[in-house]
Amino acid sequence: MSNIHFKTASSYIRRSPFQALAAIFVLTLTFFVATLVSILTYSSAKVVRYFETRPQVIAFLKDGTGSEAVAALQNKLTSDERVKEVKYVSKEEALSIYKKATSDNPLLGELVNPTIFPASLEFSVEDLSFAQSIIDEVKSDPVVDSVGFTAALGGESDLKNVVGRLRTVTTYIRVGGAVFTGILALASFMVILFTISMRMTARREEVEILNLIGATKKFIRSPIVIEALIYTVCGVFIGWVVAFISVLYSAPGVLSYFGEIPVLPRNSLDLLQIFGIILGVELVFGFILAYSGSALALSRAKKAR
Amino acid sequence: MIKFKDVTKRFGDVVALEKVSFEVEKGKFVFITGASGAGKTTILKLILGEILADSGEVVVDGVSVAGIAERDLPAFRQKIGTVFQDFKILPERTVRENVEVALAVIGLPQDSWTERVKHVCNLVGLEKQIDLFPSQLSGGELQRTSLARGLAVNPKILLADEPTGNLDWPTGDSIMQIFEKISKEGKTIIMATHNQEIVKKHKKQVIHLEGGKIK
Repeated sequence: MSNIHFKTASSYIRRSPFQALAAIFVLTLTFFVATLVSILTYSSAKVVRYFETRPQVIAFLKDGTGSEAVAALQNKLTSDERVKEVKYVSKEEALSIYKKATSDNPLLGELVNPTIFPASLEFSVEDLSFAQSIIDEVKSDPVVDSVGFTAALGGESDLKNVVGRLRTVTTYIRVGGAVFTGILALASFMVILFTISMRMTARREEVEILNLIGATKKFIRSPIVIEALIYTVCGVFIGWVVAFISVLYSAPGVLSYFGEIPVLPRNSLDLLQIFGIILGVELVFGFILAYSGSALALSRAKKAR
Repeated sequence: MIKFKDVTKRFGDVVALEKVSFEVEKGKFVFITGASGAGKTTILKLILGEILADSGEVVVDGVSVAGIAERDLPAFRQKIGTVFQDFKILPERTVRENVEVALAVIGLPQDSWTERVKHVCNLVGLEKQIDLFPSQLSGGELQRTSLARGLAVNPKILLADEPTGNLDWPTGDSIMQIFEKISKEGKTIIMATHNQEIVKKHKKQVIHLEGGKIK
């Protein structure tokens, strides 16, 4: 039975190819932008997450602290769920880091010796909101001399500013993307509505004949809904494929630019999984769009006895 | 089978039917005659539930048409075959597909379509034109297609609105032969026509209308 409806829908599309192309083009644009906005949202969330969890808290240890006391603090931090990646940095390692950081001016490295660098425990927090409480706790530990954030991001206030700015940018991307996608979705909805309305006008005689021979509303509507679904599925797939190719093409450059920040998954399977989820969501949204658009157009064409 | 009880139908100030009463028994072939505007088509539309009477009652196969809910109307119409003066053939479909649409409407399984289509096309003499499009058919062949589609659903009642109105005499006569054949199979046929020659040739029950009243 669905075969005859599919055949009918296909013949409608063949009869007015330019109308069909226009509908598919607008839907393609919508889902292309929607896919890119989704990826941008993902990437911006990753950037924020990276900087949120990035701040390494450094607990500088007092000189002469025994290895047992250090191990005890290290174990305590490791078992804390708010803390991740606890690492012990010895005086020698600290010097090495310093020398690396001043490699463009070797004289600075030669003027110092390991004794001036305190040993430390470096760790990051699962969420920035935990940072202050952990710092206070660590500060109170007898083996800890002082506590600070990693110099890469400046002080505590600088870090908060950076994360705050990133959060703002992320919000703008999300809200702006949603608004832009929403406008395109509305345009797509209107295109489906107009296309189906025009189809109903062109099919008035056919609908009348079908009514007279006892066709149900579902029977009459099915080819129309299928036609809208064909447009939407084409739009979703083409838009998604174009966006996917664009992201794949730009991925090496983007990943290289952002360095260790995981704006995109480095593993192809993970990237494919994200795009798979986006495709699934877009198909569901597309079905809703097609069904609601065609249902509204059909309800406007309803004729009472 | 079909009963009209004091049926009146107005379109604005125009009285299409006024207190019309008649009864058609099961298996009968009835002509509804009269000049243009006499109310012939209105009677067929009332039977089909396309329009409702302003007063009186139309009963088809024991069911009052006015009482049929909108959602039950398709099932009701599926029991009635219709043939129109202007054929009402789907232009983008072949003869076969036009008949298949009617079969799809009644929900007949697709595997039995071929046999049924072949049967009705043979009955109306369209076996050679089965895969042609309406634009490739003559008026008589279009009317046969319309008849084949009406018959495909094996209706209890066949309504025909001026089925020979657009055809020349020999073609119209051949169409009438098919109706005779169908009538012999026990179907109830109600045919609206203004063609008195046909009415005279085929001696059937006649309901004659003048100005919306039975004379």
